[in-house]
Amino acid sequence: MLAALRNLRRHPMRTGLALAGVAVTAAMLLDMVLLSRGIERSFERLLLGRGYQIRVSPKGTLPFDTEATLAGAAALRRTLEADPAVEAVGPFLGTSLHARRGDSLVTLFGYGIDPAAQALYQPEQGTDLEPGDTLGVLLSRPAAQAIGATIGDTVTLVGRLDPQTASAAVERRLVVRGLVRWLYDYRGQPSVGTVLPVMQDLAWQRAEDRVSAMVVRVREGADPEAVVERLRAAAPRVEVNSVAELVAHFRQRLVYFRQLSYILGTISLGVTVLLVATLMTITVNERLGEIATLRAIGIGRGSLVRGVLAESLALTVAGGTLGAGLGWATAEYLDRILTRFPGLPAAISFFVPEPRSLALAGATLLLTGVLAGAYPALLAARAPIAATLRAEAT
Amino acid sequence: MTLLRARDLYTDYPLDGEVVHALRGVSLEIGPGDYVAIAGPSGSGKSTLLHLLGGIDTPTAGSVELLGTPLERLSDRELTRLRLTKIGFVFQRFHLLPVLTAAENVELPMAEAGVPARERRERARDLLAYVGLAHRIRHRATQLSGGEMQRVAIARALANRPAVILADEPTGELDAATGREILELFRRLNADGMALVVVTHDEHLAAQARRRIHMLDGRISGTG
Repeated sequence: MLAALRNLRRHPMRTGLALAGVAVTAAMLLDMVLLSRGIERSFERLLLGRGYQIRVSPKGTLPFDTEATLAGAAALRRTLEADPAVEAVGPFLGTSLHARRGDSLVTLFGYGIDPAAQALYQPEQGTDLEPGDTLGVLLSRPAAQAIGATIGDTVTLVGRLDPQTASAAVERRLVVRGLVRWLYDYRGQPSVGTVLPVMQDLAWQRAEDRVSAMVVRVREGADPEAVVERLRAAAPRVEVNSVAELVAHFRQRLVYFRQLSYILGTISLGVTVLLVATLMTITVNERLGEIATLRAIGIGRGSLVRGVLAESLALTVAGGTLGAGLGWATAEYLDRILTRFPGLPAAISFFVPEPRSLALAGATLLLTGVLAGAYPALLAARAPIAATLRAEAT
Repeated sequence: MTLLRARDLYTDYPLDGEVVHALRGVSLEIGPGDYVAIAGPSGSGKSTLLHLLGGIDTPTAGSVELLGTPLERLSDRELTRLRLTKIGFVFQRFHLLPVLTAAENVELPMAEAGVPARERRERARDLLAYVGLAHRIRHRATQLSGGEMQRVAIARALANRPAVILADEPTGELDAATGREILELFRRLNADGMALVVVTHDEHLAAQARRRIHMLDGRISGTG
């Protein structure tokens, strides 16, 4: 075994090149494993991040999929809250609006929320809104930068802007209470948030009490899927989905993406097998004289097979370890590029490590090492002793 | 008592589409403490005979017995074990593992035989001292001269206390002076009771053996 491992140092350049090859394919395998279910897992984490397991949206739509809204939010909220397993319901309205900065207007995205039941943001600095705070506003850092405002400043939000006259139907002066991270914002998105009635006023949606969607949190121990069924029965004119169902929808949309990952991952494994098997076959053929001598002095076939497999495994494991680092760095780099796509929440990640997938990939890589060593090991075990020694002597 | 007995050995093998009759009815007996040199021109069947005596090849006809055990009746596993524990091989090209030290090369057959680590370390040290390489124990095979490598190979052959040492042209790759050192080592080994069968072109090596067998065209053409 010791000899098998030291054998890798016999031809440093060849071993180095083989290690580089295995590292590249292992990196590709790792990235494909991270990618295959990464975005789906990331999406699920995002949806469950604030502990709300159900989404209610206009019939035939998914949250944030269209600009359709739900009318009669308060009544719908009461209907949903009537279910004993429902702990909290949070309505929200998304709309586009503007803020004044000197003589110019800055375009923003606005959220109307109920601070007591919200699944859209994470406070970062300052204070959160109180449920009845109609004078406060929360800003994302890009919004604060775009408006040139900070905590304690008063900002003017402008809704229902008439593009012909550049005059607004609604204007509200609000005090910045805090800076928050809006979970569904794309990178650099300037977003602001107020309590729902203020945003409804700005969006001209107050009269019909319209919201974009609602989030629902079920009580501990309750089955979200069963609650979804009951809420569908209680509110048949809206769309009710559990996070699991939304993830399933998302998975369906990404099926080709995942298949591509599997295909590329399998190709990278195949390349690893061919690479290591080729190197080991060359090595064994070069050492046939040595192998025949070992057999002659009484070294068993089993020991030779173990030696070749150990060498193959060592090559695969060492290359795989290098590949893990390389794959990780590549995943980070690609993730930074991919998450800059417009309209994609910045919190979404394409490459997400999952212990089970990583363990499976590691085990597959080890199996690859064994598989790659199998043929050369067989060659070593079957080397005819006398004929090989005769050939060596001539 | 007979250590090795070969009876009416025939060996044919194919070479370039033709059948080579390497041995044509060779019989031979070697006793404990014997020192036999097998000489003859190239292609006379010397190495083939040595391979048959050592159980690394099987005859087309005839039989070989080691310590009364017919080798043809043994399975591959049993034959491998027998070579490991009862026979020591020395080859012209040494064939040490270049990535191992002298001591590790000597320990290799002992490790295969299941000798405990401490015991094999001590025995490897003793054997390397016996062949005059006490100072080269930790040197890699690649750091040794040809004569030193052959002495390590001899120490390796002695590792599991074999009944006989079979050597195939052990001085073939060495210069005259280094060859003489190996001759001296073989003489000392035999004096210490080790049975030796040596295939050689080397007149001096053949001359110091107690028995000389001359081969020609796959047959024993003379003894002395």
